[in-house]
Amino acid sequence: MERKTLEQKTLEEKTLELKTLELTKQYGRKKAVDCMSITLTEGVYGLLGANGAGKTTLMRLLCALQRPTGGRILLDGQSIGKLGEEYRDLLGYLPQRFGYYPDFRAIDFLLYMAALKGLEGKAAERKSWELLEEVGLSCEAKHRIKSFSGGMKQRLGIAQAMLNDPRILILDEPTTGLDPKERVRFRNLISAFSKGRIVILSTHIVSDVEFIAEKILVMKSGRIIHWGRPGEITSEIQGQVWECAVSTEQADRYVAGLNVSNLRNERDGHTVLRVVAAEKPMEDARIVEPNLEDLYLYYFQEQAAGKDDKWKGEDKR
Amino acid sequence: MRKLIGFELHKLFARRLTQAAFLAVALVSALFTFYTYQNKYASYKGRQASGGEAVALDKEIAAKYEGVLTDEKVRQMMDELAPKSGPQGLNAIYLYQNAMQSAVSARFSDMYGNWNGLRVEDVFGEEEIRIGYVDGWIGASRDMEKSFVFLSFVILIMLAPVYSGEYGGVDNLILASRYGRTKCASAKALAGILAAVLVTAVMAALNVGAAFLLYGSQGLDCSILFAQLTLTEGYIPFNITCGALVGYQVLLSFAGAVGTAAVALVLSAVCRNPMAAMVASAAVCLAPALLPVPETGPLFRLLVLLPIYQMQFSSLMSVELLKAGVPYGMLALPVSAGLLAVGYGASGNIFARHEVM
Ligand SMILES: Nc1ncnc2c1ncn2[C@@H]1O[C@H](COP(=O)(O)OP(=O)(O)OP(=O)(O)O)[C@@H](O)[C@H]1O
Ligand SMILES: [Mg+2]
Repeated sequence: MERKTLEQKTLEEKTLELKTLELTKQYGRKKAVDCMSITLTEGVYGLLGANGAGKTTLMRLLCALQRPTGGRILLDGQSIGKLGEEYRDLLGYLPQRFGYYPDFRAIDFLLYMAALKGLEGKAAERKSWELLEEVGLSCEAKHRIKSFSGGMKQRLGIAQAMLNDPRILILDEPTTGLDPKERVRFRNLISAFSKGRIVILSTHIVSDVEFIAEKILVMKSGRIIHWGRPGEITSEIQGQVWECAVSTEQADRYVAGLNVSNLRNERDGHTVLRVVAAEKPMEDARIVEPNLEDLYLYYFQEQAAGKDDKWKGEDKR
Repeated sequence: MRKLIGFELHKLFARRLTQAAFLAVALVSALFTFYTYQNKYASYKGRQASGGEAVALDKEIAAKYEGVLTDEKVRQMMDELAPKSGPQGLNAIYLYQNAMQSAVSARFSDMYGNWNGLRVEDVFGEEEIRIGYVDGWIGASRDMEKSFVFLSFVILIMLAPVYSGEYGGVDNLILASRYGRTKCASAKALAGILAAVLVTAVMAALNVGAAFLLYGSQGLDCSILFAQLTLTEGYIPFNITCGALVGYQVLLSFAGAVGTAAVALVLSAVCRNPMAAMVASAAVCLAPALLPVPETGPLFRLLVLLPIYQMQFSSLMSVELLKAGVPYGMLALPVSAGLLAVGYGASGNIFARHEVM
């Protein structure tokens, strides 16, 4: 219900439309992004995909950090390459891995990024401090970045991405290295921020996007193979997720043979398995509501089960 | 823009390696100066002195003959200063007692210490040679020459990471930001050039300042041609004053610094990491000095216009005098200006167009 009213509102404002047309990025013979045509309007998008699916490459293309080998990217009908500064002014980007200046203090780093983004004097300071506060780094603002933990650097990275109030925010695995408390803080930050903007975040941690993303894009081998709302997208595998109890001793055998998305040891010597399978995996299995994690497993079972060769074989074709 | 340049300068000067390199070169430069000063020696009428006292003694002698060199003065100096060669039959030309004696002996003495019969116009032609105490400034200039060659390395070390240092991952952030490909790319080049000019200014100020302290302004209006033998042999053969000498030197070292910076910036933008950038730019900058090119050939006349020779300015200054007495070396200024223009434009462009990995 709430989502609907939000959507109606954004329609009234000047909306953004980021569109890729047959977008392709090829490294040698490897197509990291393969002829992708998608249209992104305002909202939070969760980009799900296994390692090497092409998430980072897609995001770099969207940030104009790499030139596509084919296809185009348009913002409201205009090529982002032509828009140049104007496009980047709307852009906030958190790379999956990024460098920083070890000897800079956190606040100086943000001020530097603010200068790069064209924020001036007082406004830059105000925004930098505000964001340090929001990512929980205000106490460490004057510490050198080299003294930061991985999660702290990541939060600093999130802060810099948001400095210019970007209308297009692209976050590559933003929750990497964040502890649960910080994850929650991050989700809230993004939820509050996302109104009237395009937010794309990639991850392989399903629970991250389950809560904040309005749309999920499932990416595999450089293509978006599936997309939809978190509630709807799982309907694809409706009736294919099962729960069944087996004796704990036998559990290992089942896990090896089946596509198991979860297992829970009960006190009575039984283990409850959650299985993704087209057919009823065993006699006393019962159908349960699918969730995103099940879906993820459904799409990436080859890799999850370690059947890498088959995956590569598919890829070459 | 000013803010961005400020940040870039901060990055450059905050780097430990840069600080260490600059301090090392400043220290070496100070040692050269100190060593030269300490090794000054003069003997005159039974008085012997070294270091500062020798300088004072040389100045005292020079004061007697100051002014335009005439045959009359040559005769006086020969009478008063020229040593008669000793029992071992040492060549009087190479005997050293004090600066003025060496200068006059080298040109007007035979091997026994007698006048060789040459007149001023035989030795110097039509030139009007002002003589005085020039040893201090010529010595300082020669030390400064070495310091500036070392300074090129500081510039190369300092500027190697300007762009290449960002390729380690910050480029992701910079190039996705509004001004990353435009103002930032230019700010980096400008800051790099500014930094090179700054370190050169500091180095020049230290050297010239020290020379003023140690030798005063005496001799700045005197010709570099009438100095002790070891300072003039194989040195700039034109009649310019010590003041002009130091002026040209400082000018050329700024030009050389800017040219070196331009090369360093381009290679920094091309190379993937600072170490590679440094090695590459050192190779490119040094190559002209290491090539086995005869100093008399036409190729040398071109090579000598490159930045490394601008820093080591005496070879460049020795080529020839152009019309109106302008040294050939001044042609290096447009060369450096060209390098600057190309380096500034190219480095920023390469950086802006680069694809992150
Ligand atoms: N610079 C590059 N040169 C060659 N191949 C590359 C390059 N960058 C990525 N690739 C290849 O492109 C494919 C997609 O990589 P990408 O980094 O986009 O995947 P990803 O979905 O972000 O993976 P991860 O979850 O591990 O971050 C991979 O097969 C990778 O090997
Ligand atoms: Mg990635």
